[in-house]
Amino acid sequence: MSKRMVFSIVALLAGLTISPDFSPILGAQTAPPKAAGEEAKPEKWNNVPPTKPEYAGKKSPPAPRRDLSGIWDAAEEDGGRQPSGALEHVALIKPRGQGVEGGQPDETGIMRPLHYTPLGLQALKANKPSGPSVRQVPSVLANDPLDQCDPIGFPRMELYELRTIELAQTANQVIYLNSFYGNWRIIWTDGRELPKDPEPRWNGYSVGKWVDDYTFVVETVGLNPRSWLDHAGRPHSEELRVEERFHRVDHDNMELTVTIYDPKMYTEPWQGLNKFPLHLQPADFDMPELICSPIDMQEYNKQVGNEVLPSSEKK
Amino acid sequence: MMKLLKIISFAVVILLAVSVPVLAHHGGASYDTSKTITVKGTVTEYIWTNPHVLVKLDGKDNSGNTVHWVVEGQNPVSMMAISWTKNTFKPGDEVEIDAMPAKNGNPVAFLGTVSPTAPRKRIVINGKQFQ
Repeated sequence: MSKRMVFSIVALLAGLTISPDFSPILGAQTAPPKAAGEEAKPEKWNNVPPTKPEYAGKKSPPAPRRDLSGIWDAAEEDGGRQPSGALEHVALIKPRGQGVEGGQPDETGIMRPLHYTPLGLQALKANKPSGPSVRQVPSVLANDPLDQCDPIGFPRMELYELRTIELAQTANQVIYLNSFYGNWRIIWTDGRELPKDPEPRWNGYSVGKWVDDYTFVVETVGLNPRSWLDHAGRPHSEELRVEERFHRVDHDNMELTVTIYDPKMYTEPWQGLNKFPLHLQPADFDMPELICSPIDMQEYNKQVGNEVLPSSEKK
Repeated sequence: MMKLLKIISFAVVILLAVSVPVLAHHGGASYDTSKTITVKGTVTEYIWTNPHVLVKLDGKDNSGNTVHWVVEGQNPVSMMAISWTKNTFKPGDEVEIDAMPAKNGNPVAFLGTVSPTAPRKRIVINGKQFQ
């Protein structure tokens, strides 16, 4: 055995002994169980945003002028996850957890109904969501594009699993990074117009402008109609236009309002989010990766998805 | 034949009617959210991937036969928010996990809602309570 190899082994053993935090083996054996709220992170990776009660009532400095830059977490109690559809129009008859749902062909009876055109209603019925909603079906009967790891698209990335986003400003763009499924968007601020007859994109074509010193409004078109608007299977057409209104309330807090304009599918515009709170994270916050990969989904379906199906529906 | 079809249709309607909302985007309706069972056994594999983290373990049924269990959590990012890591379980660990059983009776169970503020299901690893 060469001296170098002996030295490497000694160094490795020493490292494992004195540094349990970085040792997968010793760390797992020696780390005591952590209690809630004890997640102090010595390392700067895969950070976990604080929950709302941890900063509620904390005084914030005033908002900077015309500045959205920073890392923003969906600050609502349950995150921005909206498992039963866009937050302002959840596809439920009673508030979450208060009743049995599922199996309806349409959204009759939901708390805040959407107004569909005949084509919109037809498109809604063709989308079969497996999420907890009035139209929930068992996952084997669902046709949610996300079940195949197809792109989440915009605006579903804000109306479903909105978690942490990062916004950066350059001279002529706002760069929008969304941690959920690893999405990015470019919002042009150079004064260009939206495209007239665009090739469809999953995340669309976006332009933005400041309407006052603390409110940035983004318009997005050219969205691929194969994506859903939310987890309840709300459809959209290629004519969809989405308005996002980012209003910076103060230094640490921002509100996001998302409005859907799609006259082909809905007889009137509707809000998916209304002043939804986003909370600023420290500048060194490291967003964890959350990517949908077909190879992982295949394994999941083998281990679980196909095993929990009612026996009459096994694939 | 028609009678059989009617029975199947009825069964499907019942199945759809009893689907209960839970915070899961991949077939949460397949679990009985009103029940908690304790899955006990030896970890054989720990799968730390999307969409959901899985703990596989071998337990025993009432007659002493080995049963291969799978316990489903949420995605790794959500699990990290309640202090799980890729090293939380390792093959050979003796564990007890409280979870919701699959409705079809297969040896699959689900931890349900996971968030820093939600109540956590009891888990014991090698005699020490983990959560």
